[in-house]
Amino acid sequence: MSETRSYKAQKLVERLQVKVNRQIMLSLEACVHCGLCTDQCHYVLSNPGDVTYAPAYKADRIRKLFKAHIDWTGKTLPWWVGAKSVYTDQELEDLKDTVFGKCTNCRRCSLNCPMGVDMAVFNRMARGLLVHVGVMPEGVAVVAKDQWEIGNQMGVLKEDYLETLTWMEEELQSEYNDHSIRIPIDKMDADVVYSINPREAKYDPRTIAEAAAIFHFAGENWTMPSQGWDMTNFGLFNGDDELGGAVGGRLYDAVERLRGKKLVISECGHGFRSTRCEAPNWGKRDVAFPMESAVITMLGYIKQGRIQVDKSKNSEPVTYHDSCNNARSCGMTEEPRELLNLVCSDFREMHPNRAENFCCTGGGGAMSMTEYAPRRLKSARIKADQLKATGAKIVVTSCHNCVDGLFDLIKHYKLDMQVKLLVNLVASALVVPERPSRKMRPLEGYKILVIDDEPDIRVYLGKIFKDQGCLVTEAPDANQGMRAIKADRPDLVTLDLILPYMTGEKLYWELRKDQKTADLPVVIVSGYAAVDSPRIDFFGFLAEKRLPQPNGFLEKPVDPEKLIETVRAVLLEKA
Amino acid sequence: MELDTTSPLLHFAEDKLQIFALSFKALVYILKIRWILKFPAGKDRQAPGGSPDTSAQKGAIHSLFNIALPWEMASTRQHPFFYVQFVIFHIGVAASILMSLLIPYVPEWIAGRAAVVALQSIFAAAFLVGLVRMARRLTDPYIRGISTPDDYFSLALLVVWLGFSFLAAPNDRQSGEWPLLAYFFLTAFFLVYVPFSKISHYLFYPFARWYLGRTLGHRGVYPVKSGARA
Repeated sequence: MSETRSYKAQKLVERLQVKVNRQIMLSLEACVHCGLCTDQCHYVLSNPGDVTYAPAYKADRIRKLFKAHIDWTGKTLPWWVGAKSVYTDQELEDLKDTVFGKCTNCRRCSLNCPMGVDMAVFNRMARGLLVHVGVMPEGVAVVAKDQWEIGNQMGVLKEDYLETLTWMEEELQSEYNDHSIRIPIDKMDADVVYSINPREAKYDPRTIAEAAAIFHFAGENWTMPSQGWDMTNFGLFNGDDELGGAVGGRLYDAVERLRGKKLVISECGHGFRSTRCEAPNWGKRDVAFPMESAVITMLGYIKQGRIQVDKSKNSEPVTYHDSCNNARSCGMTEEPRELLNLVCSDFREMHPNRAENFCCTGGGGAMSMTEYAPRRLKSARIKADQLKATGAKIVVTSCHNCVDGLFDLIKHYKLDMQVKLLVNLVASALVVPERPSRKMRPLEGYKILVIDDEPDIRVYLGKIFKDQGCLVTEAPDANQGMRAIKADRPDLVTLDLILPYMTGEKLYWELRKDQKTADLPVVIVSGYAAVDSPRIDFFGFLAEKRLPQPNGFLEKPVDPEKLIETVRAVLLEKA
Repeated sequence: MELDTTSPLLHFAEDKLQIFALSFKALVYILKIRWILKFPAGKDRQAPGGSPDTSAQKGAIHSLFNIALPWEMASTRQHPFFYVQFVIFHIGVAASILMSLLIPYVPEWIAGRAAVVALQSIFAAAFLVGLVRMARRLTDPYIRGISTPDDYFSLALLVVWLGFSFLAAPNDRQSGEWPLLAYFFLTAFFLVYVPFSKISHYLFYPFARWYLGRTLGHRGVYPVKSGARA
């Protein structure tokens, strides 16, 4: 008797034939059902007696399909080797429940399989097959859609992202009373292009400010892209290689567009893994620039003496949770510990740890699958026991997903703990260097060209600069400005955008196009933007005109102190 | 010169039948390897990462020999008795296959009392392990939940085969040929059946472990850092 297959089941079976590569095929063939993986899974340990959580059992839900359609013996004697195809939509729902709801793709079973069966890899493939036919948890569908359409997995709009960066920049300037601290956006030729998790922009912007402070005090030449900034990648979770390749590609495009020398990825296990290790393969793209985790960047700053830290500022007992993606898929286990030992005075190891650590239970996209939340929290018992045993008051991790997963389980199991990222601790341990005395004239000797059609403004700005010891020249329009630049190249130009004959925008564009002046520092001083959100309007204007970000931007009326701080920061950076 | 009293059936079973079975197995394995290679291998385009003291090649080699390093994985570290069973059982199987080649062609190599006792000890231990494993497969709900008819049959086949290996080890044709006949017919069946069963896992083992080790070595995960030990 031949069973008829539903449309979705048929499409899934067809897709299976395409998606099985050699590594997946070998993992599907090699299992000997020895069961050694069983007690290596946090779901099993937290749900004793429930066979359906056993890694080999879960793997067999996928293996049955493979045997039924691809394996020799399975096609000939299906019942003998447990081969079974899918026929109904309900069977697809059951498969969804297993591959999305009972596994976080943490890879712990893979590393504990004597045969080298990489279950996480084919579980991801099975997710991809289901996603291909539209069977997935609602949350997964929503997030993937946002990442396809809006460009980031939390649907953060560009305006909100830029506004958050501006807000954080202002907060930092106010906190450190230093207007030279900036969050540069779309700066060309930066040594570091910094990418973040949209969770930071939406829920935890303080981490952006902390990273910015660290970059600033390290004297880094860095920037953040105005588009293609999301380093997370839901393609890893939903098994969609096309999405994974596209999302990674946007970030790689951003770095190439800005001619950045290195991509630094903020703390996020799956984001780091996807961007650093997977997206080049999903997108079949060779990436020429280096990529590293912010953990390694921060550690480098301390080791090179670029920032100073005082570990006594973090004196509470701290433990470290290894993100599965960092530890089991990217080999990043030692750097976070080295960093923690530099910024904390009481670091306690969790057991087991590193590549043997247990999942936070929020991985694999689990935080977006609310229907499985009770199951996730129940399976988190093993992690809760691990945390409790350390006696630490703070659990540090290097992953935003883990932060959410750990926060949830700490609340559920009533543990007296806080969750922090490494960047939080590095920022709080920072020893801020003393600023140069304001009595000095730090701009002494610099040649500054003021281009503005309003004589009052030229006089006003010129006086401020002259008081600082600058050599000031003035130009009332863009043509004269260009001539002045060519005749005697200044160290910096302040440029109004609205000018007669040729606009400031055109002049700026000409300067950037010309190799001789492409690196000439330009601070835009304009009354172009609306009063309530000048920076947002200005950056929107830049994006619309596809103009590179200037070295600085100030809204009229200009605050003299802010002008000096900005110009000084630009000149110091160039120096 | 000693008179060869071996029956034509035993001669056939220990010689031509084995050659046929081995040839068949080799042919199926060649086809299987071709089949494996037909699947495109995933590439690692990204630059090497993680620990700088490893590489894709180091990871692959480490992974291949991982099975001989029981302290490497929590699963084997936490179940030493299971690991010992694994070693005994596989040594038993390997010894039995070796014996099927020694008896017909160089019987003098295992004619001595010490050799027979050594072989029988191995087979007896492996046989007992097989029984323990069968009991585990039948009683442990986790293992029962993942077992297929092939899993039960393959294990039962090996247990019975190891039992007859024990009986055949003395190679005493004068006292009766049936243990040898049973052993060689079972060996032939085993050889023909293996490529279609889970017993052929050893064919996949080097490929699966190589690729896993290569991937994880490239990413600096393999060899797993010693600090990971629970």
